[in-house]
Amino acid sequence: MTTIATGQTQQAVPDLRRVVTRALVVALLIVIGLAVAGVDPRLAVFWVFGVTFGFILQRSRFCFASAFRDLFLLRDGRMMKAILGGLAVATIGFALVQYNLTPNLAGGRLPFNAGVVPLGLHLLLGGVLFGVGMVVAGGCTTGSLYRIGEGYVGSMVAVGGMLVGLAFIHFTWNWWWDTYISHLPVVWLPPSLGWGGTMALVLLALAGAAVFIMWVESRAGAFAIVRPASPRQSAADFRGKLRSLLRSVFVQGWPAIVGGVALGGLNVMIYLFERPLGVINEVGRWSEGVLNLVGLPPPPHVGGVGPCAITDAPPTLLTWGLMINGGIILGSFAASVLAGEFRLRVPRQGRRYGQSFVGGILMGYGGGLAAGCTVGGFFSAIPSLGVNGWFFGASLAVGALLGVQIIRRIS
Amino acid sequence: MKVDVRGEICPYPQIKAVEAMQKAKGGETVELITDHPPSLETVPTQAARLGWTATIQETRPGEWCIHLARPTSQAPAK
Repeated sequence: MTTIATGQTQQAVPDLRRVVTRALVVALLIVIGLAVAGVDPRLAVFWVFGVTFGFILQRSRFCFASAFRDLFLLRDGRMMKAILGGLAVATIGFALVQYNLTPNLAGGRLPFNAGVVPLGLHLLLGGVLFGVGMVVAGGCTTGSLYRIGEGYVGSMVAVGGMLVGLAFIHFTWNWWWDTYISHLPVVWLPPSLGWGGTMALVLLALAGAAVFIMWVESRAGAFAIVRPASPRQSAADFRGKLRSLLRSVFVQGWPAIVGGVALGGLNVMIYLFERPLGVINEVGRWSEGVLNLVGLPPPPHVGGVGPCAITDAPPTLLTWGLMINGGIILGSFAASVLAGEFRLRVPRQGRRYGQSFVGGILMGYGGGLAAGCTVGGFFSAIPSLGVNGWFFGASLAVGALLGVQIIRRIS
Repeated sequence: MKVDVRGEICPYPQIKAVEAMQKAKGGETVELITDHPPSLETVPTQAARLGWTATIQETRPGEWCIHLARPTSQAPAK
């Protein structure tokens, strides 16, 4: 049984200063949104999506890395179930969006921007590398970005590693494409199974995965998941109830499943707007930017595939990807500040920096090779009704299992 | 037993909490000092698996103390 001592937190900081800090943070988000809207209103919409993404991630302590890792390390499937919930919501939404984009299945075309990429062993390699990297680094691409917003210094190092891993991709992608990837089939299910058939199959598979997780959890003993009892303020009046509601949204952590479903829904909305969520594409652009800066420009890329394709960086600084990734960082930062949780979190052991950096390199290369990370290659890919998302997801699991063996030995 | 896992990257707060609970002798309690929000969810779950109880107390913004105790031992003093 778990209880939370509500107790008064040591209020070292006066109330006024806290209110002002929070107001400033929110104002910053709005100012950036308005500034970006002046350049292109669509960018401002992506900014809102990105900030919302980061906010939800921080509030629900969402973590793709922990979803895979904790299944093997702790026999805890809470986060993975949350992701399955999000995948189910997104699958239904994406099917409807794709039906709207491509109602005629006989045309042999993919819906615009679908997270469907060539299916081959490079996804296995990429997924395993990424899975190892995310467990060793303590977070995937998205996780590292939103943790930067929370003040985790280790995550900054991880992103640094990603830039290096992606730099290697920038110089080897063309070889991969020409030698292998360009010859692979792209498997999108609706033409073979129909819309209803595909949705039924995917949802059934997700349900099967949920049952599998239940089995994994039961093997550890105590089946029930403990929820810390939230301090119940039995407020009778409206003000009290409102205050309690605001606390549960902005101060207390959200249940993971709420985050998962919210992210699934968010993904549907952004696909409706233009494209499913993708994160590593933009980090790839950052990597290319750094390469250009140090005088090592990579060759022009051939063969762009999927929403997270490694393509030549457009010359503009402001892209949808920057709005998303920047929004994740600042949305999470705002959520953290509003919850009173922001703090610089500095690893004390030197080896953690090495872990974060090496993990980042693996994530950069693996995600770049697979043209997608846990978001673009998995969370947006499975709902896109292709087979690649499942294959990449299974590879992530294998990588995570390996990663768990590694981190156990580095304690 | 005091276990300070502040600054640790995921999943070491959880790992170290479980190790401490497994190593604790007799009625020894474990005080886990952490700045890692996910551990507020994962550590109580693992504690329950081992038959322990968990009490979470926020000590500073973004920092918590999770009091872990076996039910047979005395409840941790506030």
